Amino acid sequence: MRLATDTGGTFTDLIVEDDEAGLSLYKAATTTRDPIQGVLDVLALAARDRGCSLEALLRDSDTFIHGTTHALNAVITGNTARTALLTTRGHRDILVFRGGGRRGPFDHTAGYPAPYVPRHLTFEVEERLADDGSVVVPFSDASVLDAIRAMGEAGVEAVAVCLLWSVVNPMHELRVGALLEQHLPGIPYTLSSQLNPVLREYRRASAASLDASLKPIMARYIGELADRLEGSGFRGRVQILTSLGGLKNADEAASAPVQLLMSGPSMAPVAGRYYAGRDGEQENLIVTDSGGTTYDVSLVHRGEIPKTRETWIGREFDGHITGLPSIDVKSIGAGGGSVAWVDEGGVLHVGPQSQGADPGPACYGRAGGEATFTDAAVVLGYIDPDFFLGGRFALDSAAATRVVEDRVARPLGIDVAAAAASIVSVATENMVQAILDITVERGVDPASSTLVGGGGAAGLNAFGIARRLGCRRLVFPEVGAALSTGGAIVSDLTAQFSRALTISTRDFDRELVNGALRDLEKSCLEFAANSKSSSQRTSISYSVEARYKNQVWEIEIPLRGGDFPGASDLAEFASDFHANHERIFAISDPDSPIEIQTWLASVRCRLRDEGDPDVGCLRADGQSPQTATTRRICLLDGSVEQLPVLPFHGLEAGVYTEGPAMVETPFTSIVIDRDAVFSRSAGDNLVVELR
Amino acid sequence: MANGKLDGGQLAILNARFEGVARKMSNTLLRTGRSGVLNRARDFSCCIVTGSGSLLSAADSLPIHVLSGPEIMARTMTEYHPELRRGDAFLHNSPYHGCSHPADHTLLVPVIDDAGCHRFTVLAKAHQADIGNSAPTTYYGAARDVYHEGALIFPAVKLQSGGEFNQDLIRMCRLRIRVPEQWYGDLLAMVGSARIGEQGILALGEEYGWETLEQFAEEWFDYSERRMISALEQLPSDRVEGRSVHDPLPGVVEHEIPVNVSIEVDAAAGRVRVDLTDNVDCLPCGLNVSEACARTSAMIGVFNSIDHSVPKNAGSFRRIEIRIRKGSAVGGAVHPYSCSVSTTNVSDRIANAVQTALASLRDGSGMAEAGASIPASHGVISGRDPRTGEAFVNQVFLGSSGGGASPHADGRFHYSHAGNAGMGYIDSVELAEQYQPIRIHSRGLVPDTEGPGRKRGAPSKRVEFGPVGCAIEVAYVTDGCINASQGVRGGSAGGAARQHLRKADGSLAELPTSGVVTLGPDERIVAITGGGGGYGDPRKRDAREVRDDVREGWISAERAQEIYGQRIAGDEAGERGRDTL
Repeated sequence: MRLATDTGGTFTDLIVEDDEAGLSLYKAATTTRDPIQGVLDVLALAARDRGCSLEALLRDSDTFIHGTTHALNAVITGNTARTALLTTRGHRDILVFRGGGRRGPFDHTAGYPAPYVPRHLTFEVEERLADDGSVVVPFSDASVLDAIRAMGEAGVEAVAVCLLWSVVNPMHELRVGALLEQHLPGIPYTLSSQLNPVLREYRRASAASLDASLKPIMARYIGELADRLEGSGFRGRVQILTSLGGLKNADEAASAPVQLLMSGPSMAPVAGRYYAGRDGEQENLIVTDSGGTTYDVSLVHRGEIPKTRETWIGREFDGHITGLPSIDVKSIGAGGGSVAWVDEGGVLHVGPQSQGADPGPACYGRAGGEATFTDAAVVLGYIDPDFFLGGRFALDSAAATRVVEDRVARPLGIDVAAAAASIVSVATENMVQAILDITVERGVDPASSTLVGGGGAAGLNAFGIARRLGCRRLVFPEVGAALSTGGAIVSDLTAQFSRALTISTRDFDRELVNGALRDLEKSCLEFAANSKSSSQRTSISYSVEARYKNQVWEIEIPLRGGDFPGASDLAEFASDFHANHERIFAISDPDSPIEIQTWLASVRCRLRDEGDPDVGCLRADGQSPQTATTRRICLLDGSVEQLPVLPFHGLEAGVYTEGPAMVETPFTSIVIDRDAVFSRSAGDNLVVELR
Repeated sequence: MANGKLDGGQLAILNARFEGVARKMSNTLLRTGRSGVLNRARDFSCCIVTGSGSLLSAADSLPIHVLSGPEIMARTMTEYHPELRRGDAFLHNSPYHGCSHPADHTLLVPVIDDAGCHRFTVLAKAHQADIGNSAPTTYYGAARDVYHEGALIFPAVKLQSGGEFNQDLIRMCRLRIRVPEQWYGDLLAMVGSARIGEQGILALGEEYGWETLEQFAEEWFDYSERRMISALEQLPSDRVEGRSVHDPLPGVVEHEIPVNVSIEVDAAAGRVRVDLTDNVDCLPCGLNVSEACARTSAMIGVFNSIDHSVPKNAGSFRRIEIRIRKGSAVGGAVHPYSCSVSTTNVSDRIANAVQTALASLRDGSGMAEAGASIPASHGVISGRDPRTGEAFVNQVFLGSSGGGASPHADGRFHYSHAGNAGMGYIDSVELAEQYQPIRIHSRGLVPDTEGPGRKRGAPSKRVEFGPVGCAIEVAYVTDGCINASQGVRGGSAGGAARQHLRKADGSLAELPTSGVVTLGPDERIVAITGGGGGYGDPRKRDAREVRDDVREGWISAERAQEIYGQRIAGDEAGERGRDTL
């Protein structure tokens, strides 16, 4: 058996994959103070459901996969190690200045965001390299020893090192590392050139500082997780989800914890590709994960999952950039708890304020009178107040109607149903804009993509989103309510290695390039060997980050092979680049040289063989709705109809039904409007085709 | 939808759609631009105006580029080219016809529906690395007039028909603009941006119908006007005078250049009037302010002083009346007077005069003055790169002036100047050194240069840089050396700006406030940028904030005691954990 868990803000999800294929899904409350307890709770729930002890469940499992928001929460709450930064003399304010830019020019209510490492814990090293890596100012051991003394006095618990041009020549950073090991033994440190070898000192310093500050807490957390699982009888491998949408063995994960900041959300596109792929849909997907407070969007483009270096912890410009490649997930504050309000000029807004899970929407019966997206869905009949979360939680529909009336209908001078429909439309548009942001950046046409609706709230307006984007197909995976965990159970061990090396197509040095690619291959093969992956299960893919001469923002271009032997390969690469540039930005410049800045190799060690059986389908359990009913529902065009409400497990595979209708699963309700047909697919997804 | 009024939900959705188009245009321009001023510093803006020429949406733009100007430029386009066709594109940089200054090349694309009707205009406005001036700078302070300035001026000139360039114009520009490949690459980026905006609006028209979009625009303007009225109602009705003084420009303008504003707030009527007519005549230099920049700067001062969530478009602008005198250096610049430096120096003084005047209305409104532009660390550098043998020219953004304090927050460490407000990016040391043969030896904040106040201004920066293996030219026009940024309501001035040359022997010599300096291979610039002014009495500053400032090294313990009245013990200054987010 294999176990995959994901600790989210509200729920800890578990998916159990049985040896004879077949999945079971469980949810337990997240225990914020001791998140590992929530993991053990949900495991106990599964054991009980299966009529065995926790020890027996764990003993029979060989793999335990874990996604966690622990690193992210630590950064957001400031609960990280007391961290110092060492940087080149004359450049102490790298983290203070940041990269510049701000969210809007007229908001003078908030000051400049504080640096991740305060200035009084930032120390200068006497040294300087030039852009070609040559020494301008020789390295001074004494300056580092002074800093080490000051750091010791300040009680520093972790150290980040970012020296200018260390990407081109890491010699000085390595010397700092050696001195730290000698004089501050046991204090973890991160060298920027090892963690994130890219130009732009702010991004490197930010990544190194985040990483160092997380090392003590994440080493403790992962160690304790492994110990407590072992204490309960587990003897298999513990693997952690990374921001790159793959797994790492626990010890490797703890050694670069900045890569755990997106542990969890990064799995949504992996899940989307896998489950939609069962129905042959894996080329172009827009994968959405709609929860109580956030709405996450990611992509699968031409079968690949795009990555980005623009991941911010907190809001763009105000938060801290990781600067490392990570699965591109756009997250906006929109969800079931988003508050609907009318401003003094009479315009409706939904969010960014949220009632969260507690007090939650007014229909939860304990809130203070704000109208939320969920309340609007109750008013419209999208959610059955008596069958929320499988009937475990009754909703107060009168309270929902009251707040929508008070907060939105009356100020806008419209009736309560129209007000609720407006709330859903505005929330839908906010989500659509988040999707457009990410698709625009990638040059993806939403109209030719399939929308994947994941998350507990997906069914409420995924249809409206698909309609608005012009998507023809909408897929709700069966494990959609626990999308990240569903991705975790099917994901592979992965790692990415990169090398900064600027090469122009104008004077392309094949020997240098092929040497760099061979070095990257070697790193990949070492990772595979350490992971005990056989060569049949190991694959390596290569890509570059490139741009036209004098541009500074690269786009990622997959390479057709792992080397440049000669002949036509350079022309092929150039034509790939021009085509991608044209697709994304509407122009190309075939006369311009192309500059390759970074070389990347990704290694993937499959945990199952090509011929292995599929993970199987979710088992129906006792809480699944069984019989069809009807309910009064307000549709997108404002009409109200008595619609059939069909249990998902009652649908016959491959048989199409005409919308409008509602489909219900134990974890979610799905609204299907007019001009569409839907069916339960062979891959056990709910597939909707829009006309 | 075209029948009856749109409801609040529909307005919100259509507004998000238009903003989405403008953002998509900006993203394209940033990612594809070739010169550092665009792709590293983000000195550009993208916006949408209605067919009749009213500003509708300018998401993520630099204030000085867009509040006023796009509407005049769009009208110039329709006046000079009454027959517009799909596929047309116009190049516009004339400060005498609505552009901010000649360096802001603007590409206008009229959005024409299937019936041939002109519905909207999209603009991509981008500060160029070079525009063919007689000196290698896009800010020519000493220019006696537009002829001496030497800029090619394009008053809405047709650059594309049917989506194809007029190659005559391209060839002309290639012969006059330095580093022509860079200019052409930037032009392609602007075309891509504008065409992406055009496609986005055509798709919107298809989906909603043009009548609905035009109805939306009118109703969105009405909504924005209502929001503006509510915001102005919060201010006390009064008439206040403001004044902000630009330094002399030695060798060009030997006297100071004061900017006088007179503001009348009529809260009951929800109106504000800004009178700029009492100012000097046009000057024989590049500091004259174009109409677009004067109007915009007055609006910046107003919008900095009220609820920031009021939408900025033709609707809210209806409530701001701005009076300008033709022939005045403050907004009335006429041909052939030069407006080369119109977006920054004197223009910033207008915004500063307005926001400090509004601060005098009551505690809680207005702002202190922002640090001045353009220090040598934001200068235009040019030369020949010894690593490649190729010529280069570009404005660098190595270290900016600091922001002034508001009633609610300290000044921002990175602000540039009033017209930019910190929207631009900061050059990475490594990228700056990779793209140009220069080395940034050091850059950092200067202690004890903040404008003291209950909320303090941001400190000055000190940037030391110079060429590597060659000589380079550095062009700049700095203000704020004599007239540092003023504080308000008991707050004091920020640190003054100052530019120095470090000679080969290591000694420092002060440089004039403006000029084009040639640096030898062993020489360096040491630029000190302006600090921002403070807001309110520094002795009322929160004790914890003063302690933080001392611990972080922004102010000394002596200054904390002397000016802020707070005694900080040495160990207290050194102790404290990291701040949470």
